[in-house]
Amino acid sequence: MTEESNLDPSGFAAGSPGPSPAPSDPAPAGGVSRRRLIAGGAATAAGGAVVGAGVTAAFMGGNARAAGATPSASASDVTDSVDLTRRVPFYDQPNQAGIRTPPQRHAVFMTFNLNRGATRQDLQVLLARWSAAIAQLTQGKAIGTIEPERPDAVATDTGEAHGLAPASLTVTVGLGPGVFDKRFDLAHKRPALLKDLPRIPGDVLQPELSGGDLSLQACADDPQVAYHAIRNLARMVTTTAHTHWVVMGFGRASAGPGQETPRNLMGFKDGTRNVVSDADYDQYVWLKDADWMTGGTYQVVRKIAMTIETWDFDRISDQQRIFGRTKDEGAPLTGEREFDTPDFAKQVEGAQVIDPTSHIALAAPENNSGVKILRRGYNYTDGLNNQGLLDAGLLFISYQNDPQHFVDLQNKLGRFDLLNEYIRHIGSAVFAVPPGPATGSYIGKALFD
Amino acid sequence: MSHRTHAAAGLGAVLALAAGLSGCAGSTPAASTSATASAPADGSAPVVDGVAQVKVTLTGGEDGDKCTADFGSAPAGPVTFTVENVSSTAITEVEIQSELKILGEKENLAPGLPPSPFTITMNGGQYTLYCLGATPQTQPFTVTGEAAAAPTGSTATLLNQGTKDYGTWVGTQADGLKAAVADLKAAVDSGDVAKAQAAYLAARPFYEKIESDVEGFVMPGFKVDDNKGNLDYLIDMRASNLDEKVGWSGFHAVERDLWKAGKISDGTKKYAADLDTNVGKLVDVVKTLEFKPEDLANGAAALLEEVQSGKITGEEEAFSHTDLVDFHSNMEGARQAFAYLQPGLEKIDPDLMNQVVTQFGNVDDALAELRDKTAPGGYLPWTAANREKHRKELSQAVLALQQPMQKIAEKVATAK
Repeated sequence: MTEESNLDPSGFAAGSPGPSPAPSDPAPAGGVSRRRLIAGGAATAAGGAVVGAGVTAAFMGGNARAAGATPSASASDVTDSVDLTRRVPFYDQPNQAGIRTPPQRHAVFMTFNLNRGATRQDLQVLLARWSAAIAQLTQGKAIGTIEPERPDAVATDTGEAHGLAPASLTVTVGLGPGVFDKRFDLAHKRPALLKDLPRIPGDVLQPELSGGDLSLQACADDPQVAYHAIRNLARMVTTTAHTHWVVMGFGRASAGPGQETPRNLMGFKDGTRNVVSDADYDQYVWLKDADWMTGGTYQVVRKIAMTIETWDFDRISDQQRIFGRTKDEGAPLTGEREFDTPDFAKQVEGAQVIDPTSHIALAAPENNSGVKILRRGYNYTDGLNNQGLLDAGLLFISYQNDPQHFVDLQNKLGRFDLLNEYIRHIGSAVFAVPPGPATGSYIGKALFD
Repeated sequence: MSHRTHAAAGLGAVLALAAGLSGCAGSTPAASTSATASAPADGSAPVVDGVAQVKVTLTGGEDGDKCTADFGSAPAGPVTFTVENVSSTAITEVEIQSELKILGEKENLAPGLPPSPFTITMNGGQYTLYCLGATPQTQPFTVTGEAAAAPTGSTATLLNQGTKDYGTWVGTQADGLKAAVADLKAAVDSGDVAKAQAAYLAARPFYEKIESDVEGFVMPGFKVDDNKGNLDYLIDMRASNLDEKVGWSGFHAVERDLWKAGKISDGTKKYAADLDTNVGKLVDVVKTLEFKPEDLANGAAALLEEVQSGKITGEEEAFSHTDLVDFHSNMEGARQAFAYLQPGLEKIDPDLMNQVVTQFGNVDDALAELRDKTAPGGYLPWTAANREKHRKELSQAVLALQQPMQKIAEKVATAK
């Protein structure tokens, strides 16, 4: 979407990135008596076509393939699997989980506003209780009793995840600009680059889908596990904060190491050139020498609606011109394979092969001073809109050590992107994401020290 | 509503140091260097300035989270339990219980928060340290010797007095309801729509304040699935729960005629007369009710549920749009029930009590913004347009009150 391929200065992203394991890579949980299920992800989805498809594709030219009916499949199918018994560690990681963690299949993203009259101490207790509860939830445990012994007691945990596996659940906590206003005497702790995003061309933001004092990004390979986490975290803090807006995401719209590049709802691969290497994470994602925010990052969230039916009626050549890539393989229009480097200068008969206002041309790092942002979005649907049309799009989530990187990129895209005819940025927010907590501590504790 | 015999607590417990204990930030362990300390020879907790000091430490671990007290006994008198959550994510609450009754507690515990103390005055005897989520969850705590006489009434005495007083208050509301419905009937019989509307609005609050106490009351001789014998249905049914077999009845049948039709028919007069009869029966029932502390807490919670699901939605007063008047009355009923529990709850958990008080204030503030002196009943008419504009804020405020309110019943329960 607003991204496609802004991410690899070498231009060769990720064919075989070979990064060292991310700190929050999930590890299979040993000796758990929960139900275990390993499903071949993309392999299953692509059905029996998987084995032969790559070979067939290799013999066919790019254009021939675009007309062909056989879906291609990458060689990484084997590792793109779901193991529901995986748990992601919560404590004692340098960064919060849910950022570098390989994207899970489902997400629930919710923002909150702090209640009128909420105090600094209320905020402190909220962050401490959330942290403890997230620690429980990510290990596949309830946050308290599901069936209390005392007849007049109300259950602490709502119970719908009872018996479900941890499913690589991560919950990432973000702090919005409102946390650092004078209400909580925290102005002196404000992360240096945290402020509301400026208006960006093309924005048609709705106030009820924008901003927020706090954000929770819950991701899991089981949607009920993610929903349970958000529901219980929201429920336990109603005296301090209330819900603002929420998006439920599915079909991760970004790939982690070893994952096949997924597709957005426009049917195009999304995130071919994402941040993958340690060096890029250090340079573009994690904050260094940032006082209490060292090891943290900034989260930009955009709810981007797609005019689905209109898009679906667009001819394939126009769709491919808009993205600058082929639909099936995901190759740049100047190349054959997904990870071929786009040649933005190439001309045929006096015209540039990749339209300079195509999505990839505007977003590519080589056209943006090398800047990269980590994209970790999900597709969403809200059912039907008031015209009876499909109400769906992209929950765009990016992580970067300077929100201005996103702003610069989107300023360009918002003005010129051919894709703008088919998308609307309707929601927007920015949050500071503190570093991960140590055992015995909680997210954001440094605010109160 | 059945009344179970209340077994009086054998051991009185009194919060000696309510002030300064609320919250956790800035709290420090009670022990101080300047205090006079004495260590009892029997190995029980040391006494500082006349208060025994017990430290309770919560830790996480592979084989279950642990709740550890540095002393398993204390001399009779005031005892401060200082709870520090070092690393337990499973334990969120620590209580001292006597025969399953909660004498004092700390909630909202989490790793990284400052140590948090609570103090209770304990007589000699066996108690239980209850750590919700720990392995094991309970452990014995012994108090030796006799305490000096408790300075004021025990928690149980205060709670029982509260329930009696609440019962009296409910009786006065029932009397008010009876008189107001008689006025409504007279106004309807007179055929004066404006007067009848005014009488309707005057009668509603009495019912809305105590409706949780009569919810679902079925008259003797009727089956539970027959709404003809369900007094609550006959008096307060809505369009949304209309039982075709029984038909329209009660307050909202009158409301529909007065506002939607805008006129009084013979049918309206019949509705008003039936309402008068059924309210008479209800008032007789109400006056026989006896309450336990948990009934008050559950009743208050039920009224908030009414507000959240019936009033904010605009479902209750679908024709007169005076839902906010009912909202106000439901809140008043909840506040009364809570107020009668408050002295006892203050001894058990002053933090929780203060939370409820604060959140009541927030709901009051949110509702006060919707006052409209010119409107019938004194509040903005709860039309679709006004609901659209204001319901989110109201709903969130009520939710914030429901959260601490839901915890009260188990804290004050006397049933075993």
